[in-house]
Amino acid sequence: MAENKYKAPGKANDSEMRALFIDPVPDDRKVEEALKHLKYLVEKYRPLMLAMESCTKCGHCAENCHTYLGTKDPNNIPTNRADLFRKAWKAAYTVEGKLFGGLVGAEPLSLDTINKMYSYFYQCNECRRCALVCPFGIDTCEVTFAGRQLLHWLGMVPKLQASVGAAMYRTGNHTGLPKPGLVDTCEFLEEEIVDETGVDIKIPVDKPESDVLYIPSSADFLLNPNTMMGAAKFFHYLGVNWTMSSEIAEAGNFGLLFDQRHTMRHNTMRLLNEAVKLGVKKIVWGECGHGWRTGKMYVPSMADRPIPVPIVHLHDETSHYIRTGQLKLNPEANNHPTTLHDPCNFGRACNLSEKLREVLTPCVSDFREMTPNRERNFCCGGGSAILYDDPVMYDLRIKFSAKKAEQVRATGIDQNGDGYLVAPCSICKAQLYPMVEEHKLGVEVKGLIDLVGTALYPPINE
Amino acid sequence: MEYLVFQILPYITITIFVLGVMYRLGKWASARIVHNIVLTPAPDTVSGAAVNYVAEVGLFRSLFKGDKSLWAGAWLMHFALLNIIGGHIVGFAFLGEQFKFIGTSPELSKQLSDILGTSMGILIFVTLIYLLYRRLSITEVKHVSNPADYLLLFLLLSIVTAGNLMRLMPEYSIHYETAQAYIIQLATFQPVELHQSNILFTLHLLLVQLMLIVFPFSKLMHLFGMFAERWIINRPYVEPAPGLPGAKAGATTNTANVVSGGKTTSGGV
Amino acid sequence: MPNIEVNGQTIELDEDGFLVNTDQWTEEAAHYFAKEEGIEELTEEHWKLINYLRDYFFQFGIAPMIRKLCKETGFSLKQIYQLFPTGPAKGACKVAGLPKPTGCV
Repeated sequence: MAENKYKAPGKANDSEMRALFIDPVPDDRKVEEALKHLKYLVEKYRPLMLAMESCTKCGHCAENCHTYLGTKDPNNIPTNRADLFRKAWKAAYTVEGKLFGGLVGAEPLSLDTINKMYSYFYQCNECRRCALVCPFGIDTCEVTFAGRQLLHWLGMVPKLQASVGAAMYRTGNHTGLPKPGLVDTCEFLEEEIVDETGVDIKIPVDKPESDVLYIPSSADFLLNPNTMMGAAKFFHYLGVNWTMSSEIAEAGNFGLLFDQRHTMRHNTMRLLNEAVKLGVKKIVWGECGHGWRTGKMYVPSMADRPIPVPIVHLHDETSHYIRTGQLKLNPEANNHPTTLHDPCNFGRACNLSEKLREVLTPCVSDFREMTPNRERNFCCGGGSAILYDDPVMYDLRIKFSAKKAEQVRATGIDQNGDGYLVAPCSICKAQLYPMVEEHKLGVEVKGLIDLVGTALYPPINE
Repeated sequence: MEYLVFQILPYITITIFVLGVMYRLGKWASARIVHNIVLTPAPDTVSGAAVNYVAEVGLFRSLFKGDKSLWAGAWLMHFALLNIIGGHIVGFAFLGEQFKFIGTSPELSKQLSDILGTSMGILIFVTLIYLLYRRLSITEVKHVSNPADYLLLFLLLSIVTAGNLMRLMPEYSIHYETAQAYIIQLATFQPVELHQSNILFTLHLLLVQLMLIVFPFSKLMHLFGMFAERWIINRPYVEPAPGLPGAKAGATTNTANVVSGGKTTSGGV
Repeated sequence: MPNIEVNGQTIELDEDGFLVNTDQWTEEAAHYFAKEEGIEELTEEHWKLINYLRDYFFQFGIAPMIRKLCKETGFSLKQIYQLFPTGPAKGACKVAGLPKPTGCV
């Protein structure tokens, strides 16, 4: 089978695609349909059009893409990834492509190319480092977005992304956590906090007359308990009247990653609706990179109606309270050599890098920057949730993180085996847990609010 | 042959170039900037964004930060190219005496003009050779290159070589007066009457026209693409994205900043 | 979709080898999944985890938080990895017939 030629994540089956309201296109009609979608997308989105038409192929993106550095697969060079679209676009819709074909790099779309797209658009972390280094500012991330959109319309979505989309419809979060499970998990975490601090801190769900709606990453209920507990301690310390909602206990929005039209808008509106129903005064976004990009940058252009309340990020809040002196932290509480991994979406898409440092430095006694950092940082290798665990894709994921491991090692925090690698993003965390094991780094992966929770001063302990 | 290159082709070239560029730019303009995809950290003032914009467009800052040798090759090539184009324009307009305006004698101006033209011609030749070498020798760049990428470099090199030879070999040089008269005849739709001509000059002009014809249908459009793309990702960051639904509406605070980077809406609740 | 036959009963699996319908789970099926996961024999310790996972799932509709799983069963995460080499979320859930966890996990 042609599909097996390329490394690719397992695809959602037809019934899973129908759950996302997509009728998969059969193979014999895929090329024809894909060409229609291609024309629509390129002619609609200017950044995509410019990526198609003004790349000079200088190759500067190659050495700046960790997927290429990790695999040395030429198809992972950003401009070659964009070529999956560009070749077909030139062949079908440009004068030069029709006249000169291969000479100008045009190539008619084929089913094989579509399968190749499925492989390589899902090997892109959508980290935008190529946009940062491109002399023209061509954003290959936009090509990947459009590529995944096109594949979604053809019915080609990885099982992971599709099942997350379906779980969101069903339960309002990505892990498929229903309200009873959510409440039980919160109660368990409340007990954990009591065990740890002796203080009774509520983690409220659907509490009426709350001021703040906190939307956590739902992975915090399964994998990152310290992040959820850290946020609860922080709100408790400041005496904030907060709640979470069982209707939308999710900071992520996978719509950004595979379907920027229906899914992204649906998730956005689900949140705004819930904020109105609960009557909160503010929405505070939890530790999630791509989610905050949708929250900060896409909600204004996605919302069907005016946005009722302000939306801020948790670390906008923490840094604000640190600056105003209302939040005091004890660096000795986290006595470990610590480095910060800037999630790509925070650094290059949401301007949050400085605030992360404002929050982290007072929390820890030994902070070391990795190089490069801030907006020049490399992606963890899991970006855009390519967190596949079949052996082939898992192996790729670990290769993508080779650069990250090198960066962490260079800080020296892993030498005594007690380092903290701080990554305030659920995708980063999910990627870094196995990455740390595979690359044998003596560090523990932490969320940023985890450390805030530990460093609160005076301690909330009784 | 000469009649074709000097009399007929220029009109065809200009028509194709202008209409072609307008067609491409029109296509770009009809596509929309749907979402706010500013690359951060982004300034929130227009003047701050202007600084970034100029640094990127004028100095290729992104390249400089990432790859010094590519930056040197690319920036010097474009610098020389701009000087050469500018030199052609003012040279033909003022017959090489343009430096009079900064106080030189006409003779000195012509000498300066010669020195500048020759040195820029050599500079662009050297940098183009470097860029070609780079395309042939670096694995990654070879991986991404199309035949057209090489052909365009050869085309530019041929134009530059013909031009340089005309400068360096007196028997092939063309006087400013000849070129000026020719341009005026072309522009006023009069029959062209050349006072002097030679094979290198014909070749030079033919290749330049060829380049202008392929311009709108090639990656040379990156000239405009640079300005367009930079305006998308290096514009000032305004909260929320300007001109999109949700802007300045329904905030419970008194500010326009609904989706906030936390400047105005943090704390307080 | 691949199906398997255990004790004459056809069981439907998804592409990742997880049960499509949790109700189709039987102890024999657990043995089959265990082999798939490279587990030689299901010991009493395995069963303790499997039973806890299944009880929790039927009560709350989801697999428990990993920390809760450790605390309530008394196993450390390391021990769980020894029992189920692919870990609690993938390995243990598969053997217990729970759906594959989704999201950023």
